Amino acid sequence: MSPSLRSRLSTYLLPAATAAALIVLWYVLKAVFQVPSFVLPAPHEILVAAWEERSFLWPAALVTVRGALLGFSAAVGVGFLLAMALGFSPRVKASLYPLILVLQMMPVTILAPIFVLWLGQGLPSIVAITFMIGFFPVVANTTMGFISVDRNLRELFVMCNATRAQEARYLRIPGAMPYFLTGMKIAGTLAPIGAIVGDFLAGSAQGGVGGIGYMTISYFSQLKTPALFATGLVACVMGFVFVGGVNWLHWRLLHLWHDSMVKKE
Amino acid sequence: MNAAPLVAIRGLQKRFGAGPLVLDGINLEVGQGEFVSFIGPSGCGKSTLLRLIAGLTSASDGLITVDGTPPEKAREKMFFVFQDATLMPWRRVAENVELPLLLRGDAPGHRRERVARMLEVVGLSGAAEKFPWQLSGGMRMRVSIARALTVAPEILLLDEPFGALDEMTRDRLNEDLLAIRSRNSFTGFFVTHSVAEAVFLSSRIVVLGVNPGRVTAVIDVPFPYPRQPELRETPAFLRLLATTAQALRAVRS
Ligand SMILES: Nc1ncnc2c1ncn2[C@@H]1O[C@H](COP(=O)(O)OP(=O)(O)O)[C@@H](O)[C@H]1O
Ligand SMILES: [Mg+2]
Repeated sequence: MSPSLRSRLSTYLLPAATAAALIVLWYVLKAVFQVPSFVLPAPHEILVAAWEERSFLWPAALVTVRGALLGFSAAVGVGFLLAMALGFSPRVKASLYPLILVLQMMPVTILAPIFVLWLGQGLPSIVAITFMIGFFPVVANTTMGFISVDRNLRELFVMCNATRAQEARYLRIPGAMPYFLTGMKIAGTLAPIGAIVGDFLAGSAQGGVGGIGYMTISYFSQLKTPALFATGLVACVMGFVFVGGVNWLHWRLLHLWHDSMVKKE
Repeated sequence: MNAAPLVAIRGLQKRFGAGPLVLDGINLEVGQGEFVSFIGPSGCGKSTLLRLIAGLTSASDGLITVDGTPPEKAREKMFFVFQDATLMPWRRVAENVELPLLLRGDAPGHRRERVARMLEVVGLSGAAEKFPWQLSGGMRMRVSIARALTVAPEILLLDEPFGALDEMTRDRLNEDLLAIRSRNSFTGFFVTHSVAEAVFLSSRIVVLGVNPGRVTAVIDVPFPYPRQPELRETPAFLRLLATTAQALRAVRS
């Protein structure tokens, strides 16, 4: 077996086989213990429910994606700028970073009602909640990147009489990219979850449709269990698309040079 | 040649914060065109001395002047080659070499031309588009030297540039460095812990003692430039090697 075939086998075939085995196990357990479908639907029932409910799930997914994208973008943008302030000025870092940590300690379940109080039900609150969840990993990682600049490289810039702006542009920002992208990856994983939780806590169907979180509550209250599971399926797909997008960006920006990506023999 | 020294060091003392004296009572005058090596046990302050001349750290007492001015004001005349090549991993070889010119604000056309010429000088024209991770340690060091040469510095400060390389590569690079110097004349300050390297390259060797770092011997190297690799096998060279090794050993004990 060639090495490339073997590696393809382990990247695709092994997880697929595991998934198939788990699905079989799912059917077996459901049959053996005679679990009713309103407690645990069979996999095919979930797919059927997803198809039947598509006129609700699709718009709901779009609403959630919008919330996730906006919250994620805000987290990445604000996080980057804040990290820059923290990374470039030790004084700003000393005065601000502890407060950011405290804010981070605040559970979202407590922040959510506060946002609803301030911003009302709907998208703004959902975006705010997604932002709160995603922004800390971006700030923490990117700040680390701005701070951990190679000392010799910095002295090289001093020898060149570089201005602070040049040092930022040619040294600190590119040097912080891997850290920034790591933070972005974490934020990207959290964003769809944040948007769904936000929708769960602050969503509303008024003036159109609710998001996936709202649909979850709705199906739950109607005991439409297969449809409830279908929302989970949609959430998974959304998460994959999000993480896939961020991973692609990560690869795009780093694959030529960064240790984590370059192929060394 | 001995009108005014290019670099003058008088009564130099250096300590970091409230720490012990790292360098004490250093006096040295270096004229244009000299190549001075600092040699001494590790931790004796060789790197610190080089960074003081470069103006990257300031003296605790005493005076350093470069071309009559404080080192911080003379940076355009100097360039530093660090112990590890200190390349930017996200920039290609040519982009790394270009950096000092970019920071100086040179025009793109001039930058390209100059970079191409310097890569040729260090024999890396073929590697212009490579990233640092694709190069060997010796090649990375050549890139670092090419980068330093782009600005045609009057003074080149090199901190154990070949310390991490195998002996064969180091000998090659020593020869190349002298060849480069015969064309792009610069005054050299070179830190090394290799006696052979110091004797082969330098016009003068300064031996430093430790705790605190003091000049314990200054050895003139009389061989004229250009120097050929065969110089290393001549009796005169070997005698000077022995003298230098003795001076170094005297410091260690
Ligand atoms: N930035 C610094 N802060 C504090 N101590 C330092 C610093 N740089 C060097 N030293 C100390 O100064 C002494 C000389 O260091 P260095 O110049 O690097 O020696 P060498 O290059 O000869 O090995 C060492 O004891 C080292 O610990
Ligand atoms: Mg050193």
